[in-house]
Amino acid sequence: MPDFGSFCLLLALATGGWAVVASYNGWRTASGTLIRSAERAIYATWGLVALAVVTLEYCIFTDRFDLEYVASYSNRTLDARYKFAALWAGQSGSILFWLFILVCYAAIVVVLNRRRNRPLMPLVITTFGVVAIFFLLLVNFMSRPFVSLAFTPADGNGMNPQLQNPFMAIHPPCLYLGYVGLTVPFAFAMAALATGRLNDTWFRTTRRFTILSWFFLGTGIVLGGWWAYVELGWGGYWAWDPVENASLIPWLTCTAFLHSVMIEERKKMLRVWNLSLVIMSFLLSILGTFITRSGIISSVHSFTKSDIGPLFAGFLGLCIVVSVGLLLHRLPELRSQNRLDSFVSRESTFLFNNLLLVGAAFAILWGTLFPILSEAVRGVKITVGAPFFNEVTVPITLALVTLCGICPVIAWRRATPNKLLNKLMIPLAGMILTTVGLLAAGMRNIFALVSLSLTMFVVVTTIMEFVWGTRARRTATGEATGRAFLSLVDRNKRRYGGFIVHLGVMLIIIGIVGSTAFRQEIVATVARGESFSIGRYTLRFEDMERRDLPNFEFQGARLAVFDGGRPVGSLVPGQNFYRAGQDPSTEVDIHHTLREDLYLIMIGFEPQQGRATVKAYLNPLLNWIWIGSAITILGAWYAMLPDLRDRKRQADSRLRELERHAA
Amino acid sequence: MRPEILRAGTALLAVALIPLGALRAADLTPQQQIESRLMCYCGCANLKVRTCTCGTADAIREEIAGRLTRGETPDQVVASFVARHGEQILSAPTKQGFNLVAWITPFALILMAGIILVFAVRRWEGKGLGFAPSAASAPGAPPDPSGAGGPPALSDRERDLMARVEREIREDT
Repeated sequence: MPDFGSFCLLLALATGGWAVVASYNGWRTASGTLIRSAERAIYATWGLVALAVVTLEYCIFTDRFDLEYVASYSNRTLDARYKFAALWAGQSGSILFWLFILVCYAAIVVVLNRRRNRPLMPLVITTFGVVAIFFLLLVNFMSRPFVSLAFTPADGNGMNPQLQNPFMAIHPPCLYLGYVGLTVPFAFAMAALATGRLNDTWFRTTRRFTILSWFFLGTGIVLGGWWAYVELGWGGYWAWDPVENASLIPWLTCTAFLHSVMIEERKKMLRVWNLSLVIMSFLLSILGTFITRSGIISSVHSFTKSDIGPLFAGFLGLCIVVSVGLLLHRLPELRSQNRLDSFVSRESTFLFNNLLLVGAAFAILWGTLFPILSEAVRGVKITVGAPFFNEVTVPITLALVTLCGICPVIAWRRATPNKLLNKLMIPLAGMILTTVGLLAAGMRNIFALVSLSLTMFVVVTTIMEFVWGTRARRTATGEATGRAFLSLVDRNKRRYGGFIVHLGVMLIIIGIVGSTAFRQEIVATVARGESFSIGRYTLRFEDMERRDLPNFEFQGARLAVFDGGRPVGSLVPGQNFYRAGQDPSTEVDIHHTLREDLYLIMIGFEPQQGRATVKAYLNPLLNWIWIGSAITILGAWYAMLPDLRDRKRQADSRLRELERHAA
Repeated sequence: MRPEILRAGTALLAVALIPLGALRAADLTPQQQIESRLMCYCGCANLKVRTCTCGTADAIREEIAGRLTRGETPDQVVASFVARHGEQILSAPTKQGFNLVAWITPFALILMAGIILVFAVRRWEGKGLGFAPSAASAPGAPPDPSGAGGPPALSDRERDLMARVEREIREDT
């Protein structure tokens, strides 16, 4: 069975290689037969990689511990859900899984576009093929998932206990879908550059895939944050770890692209910039994998380390040379035909938004890589941790928030400053009221005051967009308010989906500000019956608790929680002791409310004395991060839904293209 | 005149925002400040001493408390850890020497790119290809606010806004 998996992967290398050769030559010689053959080679590669994935899963589920991978990351008692997730628990498995997602995207793109984007498709296939070959080389020769052991152990080592969490099981697939999805816009950009067909078909095709990648990356980041919060047991959700940064950086460049692409759509400007953003996002996704997998920068995510670093660096170098080379080659043809009408216009706010988003991406990348630079220049190892990233990103974020409030009310092309100020009246009033209200409530933290006021400014601006839109539609069509609102939002999915995303992001910022600026913490050692307080909560240590589960034994401290004297239940923070011998893991317990989270960690216990040491955090507003994330994800989803008008316009442009060909 | 005011305002706001990040650590106790400045060297996670929950972090916290009660200043406490474990134990680069490069580069680049962008936009603006003013180029006339079914009376400002929203909705998607 394992041999079958290896065989599939080897064969996939051959079909992937053929896809590259056939598609490239098919494009050069304009041979339909070769191109069709390349398309079939892509399907074949997909099928073979899928078979390899199924084989590995089969081996995991049937406890084939003679396989090194299965013995390392699974065991007999592992829950079926996590057996499934064991596919991406280790390095060779995750690279195989990555490859599988890549060939899935490739096959989907071929199916969707083989008629629609004929001139671009051969080179899209070539690009996909080259990327796939790189990963196929990895799984065939460097990091092989199907390696047999010389003996068959009675049981496997089991999965890293911290990975045994439902959120952790879906966090990697989400991130991978995001990372790998960036290959689609990249492949189209490469094809557009190489063929010189630089009209707007490429970005129409790629825009939706970029939103999709952005959506998956964002969801993956949030799930990772949630996992860190409930599983890692240090009371936070984001540690500015290199691997976290590696996922945030391409997300930021994608965000920039999703904004600047609107200018290209309207004014046919910024084509070089947009191509650069697409290329940058892809390169950053490869860099992200490289950082995750090479162990070049120490990270909590270094569950697996190996020597594939140099290969990744080589591949990254190749991608940079080819893509930048192609871009420079086409530069003369990419000069934009249009100009900006005015400095005070939505176009120019988008340019500054791009500057800040890419600036933030650069700042985070810079901080992540600076330890390498420092070691090279001074020979001294240093750490660039959370304090650096907080200090650097907070001002950039606040500037972005400000733009996010001004941008929607500035008209496209040209805004009159007078009118603009008029439009900003209500949001500014909202902002000032917030500041005054918070000051009156006794808030003296300047960081929080400024952030929350600016956030409120954006929230009011965004809500006003819905209000004015509904009114305009009601006036224009005579519909009732509710109906006018629904049809407004229904007919302009991208626009209002985008605004919903803005609202979600503002809620996230409110949550981040609340939970960092006003967090309280206390460490208490208590005997049975003793109490301690944090904020408005009183906690009484009731007893120790033990639970026997198939894979581990749980030991924890049961605390009764009182909210200002009123009992609200009990929390049981503790630790899991694994039978497979891994280090014990911290199991936190959390009392969630919209106002704040009471977060408990048991950091020690003395059974003889009947005492437990508990660390308690009070994280104000933290749940708004998750609520805001959910709203952001829904907004993005809504913006991706097909728009009837969009379809009509696509049909029109296709018709025009056909007419041009006929003429 | 007005665009200049707007621009100056934006620039001022941007400058005012930069030092805000530094204000965040203001209300921490000396013990907590030191814990934030040091990384835990337990090897289990990349966390500050302040956030790490392992035994090593506890030992470091005790040592910090001990040194503080003996009358050492926070800087002295941090220096003693750096002397033993190297600069790597600091959670962020120091703001001196070569490490300043880490702090300055992002802002310097954003500022430079920002200035270039302002000049570029001014240049593009100057060479506009003669689009008609936005109001005239909008397809169709703005909706008549006094029409049947609409709200009875609207101010000029409201009419402006609605005309714009209507126009953008038509242009969007």
